[in-house]
Amino acid sequence: MRARRHRGGESGEEHGIDLAPMLDFVLNLLIFFIITTSFVREPGIFVNAAEAETALGDQDANILIAVRSNGEIWMDRRQVDLREVRPLVERLHLERPEDTVIVVADKGAASGLVAEVMDEVKLGGIDEVGLGAATVGGG
Amino acid sequence: MRLRRHFDHSETTGIDLAPMLDFVLNLLIFFIITAVFTKQMFMPVGRHGGGAGGPAGDEEAGSISVIVKASGEVLVDNRLVDVRAVRANVERLHAQKPEWGVMVTAEQDAEAGVLVQVIDQVRQGDVENVSFGTSSR
Repeated sequence: MRARRHRGGESGEEHGIDLAPMLDFVLNLLIFFIITTSFVREPGIFVNAAEAETALGDQDANILIAVRSNGEIWMDRRQVDLREVRPLVERLHLERPEDTVIVVADKGAASGLVAEVMDEVKLGGIDEVGLGAATVGGG
Repeated sequence: MRLRRHFDHSETTGIDLAPMLDFVLNLLIFFIITAVFTKQMFMPVGRHGGGAGGPAGDEEAGSISVIVKASGEVLVDNRLVDVRAVRANVERLHAQKPEWGVMVTAEQDAEAGVLVQVIDQVRQGDVENVSFGTSSR
């Protein structure tokens, strides 16, 4: 009788779902996302940048700084003062020295402010600064 | 007896996959959330003037001057041109002085949109050595 109950347990084993294929699939997904993740520091705000045909997208830049038409500067998902840009860039540069910066300026932003932000970034230790642009056709 | 041995054996050797699966799923969710698929396009430009950043080109070699005014007017080599004509003008000047770079100087209040268009036009004119600065008020 007891053995029989054990056998009942065996039939319970048959009812269980085979997790192996699902586990394979989930691991593949995981590997895909690990590989494609680039950890970009987004400004946290949408900027309507001007279009440019010669804009490059093949090099990775990890720190984005947005300059809005009303003079606000956004980086790392918060609004910052112009004087805060340099220490922030210095800290990020220490954390990951290979990072580069793109300054994304709104169409209506003042060029003087864009230049000042770029200067602060360079004083913060990152020499590779790009001027952000949208692709032609809104891509 | 035989049945019992078989049963015990299979139960002790099987690894419980559930905690590992939980962990892997958590990792997966983390990477899905942090994944960024949009890529910011940009143009590499040098800086001239001001405290930081040296001149983009060889200073002795000189450079082609492009000025963007606050009113949106664009001057190439001190001649007023349309934004779309910057490329042709720069190409012509670049053909005369191939070793010269281009200095784009914007007034403080010039719109960045015009500036990006002008730098794009210069880059379309096959000039790689573009630097950007601002004039004092």
